[in-house]
Amino acid sequence: MAFPSVSFLVPTMTTVTSAAGGRNAQRRSEVLMAWLFSVPALLLLFIFLITPFVMAIVLAFTDQRLVPNPNLPTRFVGLRNFVRLAGDETFHRSVLNNFYFVLVVVPIQTSFALFLAVLVNQKIRAANFFRTIYFSPVVITMVVVSVIWFFLYNPGEGLINKFIEAASFGLIGPQNWLNDPKLAFPAIMFLSIWQGVGFQMVIYLAGLQEIPSSLYEAAEMDGATRLQQFWYVTLPQLRNTTIFVVLATTILAFKLFTQVWVMQGPSGHPLGTTSTTMVYAVNRGFKMGKVGYASAIAVIFFVIVLIVSLGQRIFLKEERAVD
Amino acid sequence: MKRLFIVISVFVVLGLLLAACAPAATPAPEQPKAEQPKAEEPKAEEPKAEEPMAEPTTVTVWFHSGKGEEREVLDAQVEAFNAANADIQIDAVRLPEGSYNDQVNAAALAGDLPCLLDFDGPFLYNYAWSGYLTPIDEYVSDDLKADFLPSIIAQGTYGGRLYSLGTFDSGLAIWGNKAYLDKAGVRIPTSIDDAWDKEEFMDALAKLQALDEVEYAIDMKMNYGQGEWYTYGFAPIMQSFGGDLIDRSDYQSADGVLNGPEAVAGMEFFQSLFEDGYANASPAGDDDFYIKKTSALAWVGHWMWGPHSENLGDDLVLIPMPKLGDKAVTGMGSWNWGLTSTCENPDAAWAFLEYLVSPEEILHMTNANGAVPARKSAIAQSDLFGEGGPLNVFVQQLEGGVAVPRPVTPAYPVITASYAAAVQNIVTGADVQSELDKAVEEIDLDIEDNQGYPLPE
Repeated sequence: MAFPSVSFLVPTMTTVTSAAGGRNAQRRSEVLMAWLFSVPALLLLFIFLITPFVMAIVLAFTDQRLVPNPNLPTRFVGLRNFVRLAGDETFHRSVLNNFYFVLVVVPIQTSFALFLAVLVNQKIRAANFFRTIYFSPVVITMVVVSVIWFFLYNPGEGLINKFIEAASFGLIGPQNWLNDPKLAFPAIMFLSIWQGVGFQMVIYLAGLQEIPSSLYEAAEMDGATRLQQFWYVTLPQLRNTTIFVVLATTILAFKLFTQVWVMQGPSGHPLGTTSTTMVYAVNRGFKMGKVGYASAIAVIFFVIVLIVSLGQRIFLKEERAVD
Repeated sequence: MKRLFIVISVFVVLGLLLAACAPAATPAPEQPKAEQPKAEEPKAEEPKAEEPMAEPTTVTVWFHSGKGEEREVLDAQVEAFNAANADIQIDAVRLPEGSYNDQVNAAALAGDLPCLLDFDGPFLYNYAWSGYLTPIDEYVSDDLKADFLPSIIAQGTYGGRLYSLGTFDSGLAIWGNKAYLDKAGVRIPTSIDDAWDKEEFMDALAKLQALDEVEYAIDMKMNYGQGEWYTYGFAPIMQSFGGDLIDRSDYQSADGVLNGPEAVAGMEFFQSLFEDGYANASPAGDDDFYIKKTSALAWVGHWMWGPHSENLGDDLVLIPMPKLGDKAVTGMGSWNWGLTSTCENPDAAWAFLEYLVSPEEILHMTNANGAVPARKSAIAQSDLFGEGGPLNVFVQQLEGGVAVPRPVTPAYPVITASYAAAVQNIVTGADVQSELDKAVEEIDLDIEDNQGYPLPE
């Protein structure tokens, strides 16, 4: 009775007496707690992820303009946007480019990341130095990377051409990297791998350090060579890491945008060979103001990425049990 | 006890949240505080101020952050205006030029446009059509209107009403390196009446290309990248041959105009400049003409006056646009200021715009950026643009009917995006006819989707 305000705030303190009731109430309040603590996160997720997502689906069925006009209100146009997309060659080209990019970049980037991770996992003195070097491109903003590589690739005075020329003793002349329809997309792939590989390397490095050394000791006892150790111990132990890396790289690769936008412009120069779905959507939505059409592209893109990710998960079946 | 602890912690968290939210509401009173000293000054002069002195009206202004000189002048103008007008305070925000249109679009979508902002030429019409801008006819007297270059008034007029005024117009012509031109024995035209024709232009390119110092006879500024430059800079080539971006009789279709035989001939000529090695499709930088001097000519606008004159000095000549087809055509139009319909103090915003378009302030700006002054009275006072000035060719082109405005239609953003994409592909070697057909298809579809862009009211 000395603290009436407290008992007012916490009526359960005095009313609940039985042990079972107490446990029940406690669980209930814990559930309440959990919800309360998630409110800020849920609110942000709702505003910045769920709302735009739902809006994109709704807008995909309208002719929404970027700058709305009160005299010509947005109309519901049914499946018109999707019908047009079905016959839109630039869109087909962009989607195919995305698949081309993923099919080339994901295997190369993943295996290269593993290779680098094994290298920097050696117990040598400068290991930390090399880890930093390989990771540093990840920290640089993609826009900056793109601008720098734009100059590196320059046909007349770019460093890459000069290097190839010197290394081949002048046999291979300067290539018009970003303007040649055959070379432009591979050039973009190369710089993307260079920029992104450090991230996957760090994840693999963490995976490598999780592998108990006793496994290697046992393998050595059994007379396994280093290559056999890598094949039968390291790789199986990295299974979950690999699944995560492949999945993350695939999704990141599908989102290819910045490099192309900065270096090749909104129509995927040259001749649309570097256009991607995201570039095309932004071009339609923001350059041409067709938000409805761009939303339809985004919806189809979402479905494609969803199918690919689900397919990968089913195919690779992550092992859930950790111990 | 545990439960008590939980409940208390909940209240602590809620309290923290409230505390965190609270400051968001408080900064409002802070701002006037900073301006109070200014508001008090007039009070001292009028001791019998019955009502407390009104707080200065704040006008938000957005402008594109262009070249350094332009930015400095505008900053100085804002400062000078604020100092001279205690009752109006200009709150100016600079936005990067590269994404300026995107940011204005986003602000319009969010209903968050400032009072006064500048638009890149024809991007204005889409906003006027959508009702985001207020006509300024009532502010602009006939005398004032008559003093502006006709191109400025044409650019600002949509649906018969004046929506914007610019402080300068643009000029596009060919800059030449006199040393190279003399060495190659090329005649240098000095006025629009003796401009090169196509034959003479091609002859000049061939002779200049033959010089040892020259890698590419003409710099087409392809380093600007796919954007407004492609339409502004290269549509005149097509127009000189008799094509155009859209049928201007009713702005309902580009078919037969943008993909007609004249336009195709123009763009094929343009393509040949790159295929024949006269122009570089991917220059390493901006300075092939004025620092490296590996190009003898530069196809670019007034904005390069500063760097060109600094580096070439007396060797710099300005050559009027050649008559590639029946007539010479060049681009025009530039940044122009419009008032938004959501503006709460249009009078105050107009006061600032009126200040910007005063002849002195126009010259202040154009002396810095080399653009054509928007008013005839300012041109008369200008050393650069007046009779006999080094940039007088631009004025001749604007007044002599050489300059053609970009299409006055809300469909402009789509027209320019489609055309620029076609230009990019044509430079790379794509088939001209099919690229232009594709652009026409996109433009016509957009006009159809917007029900022909009916005029408001």
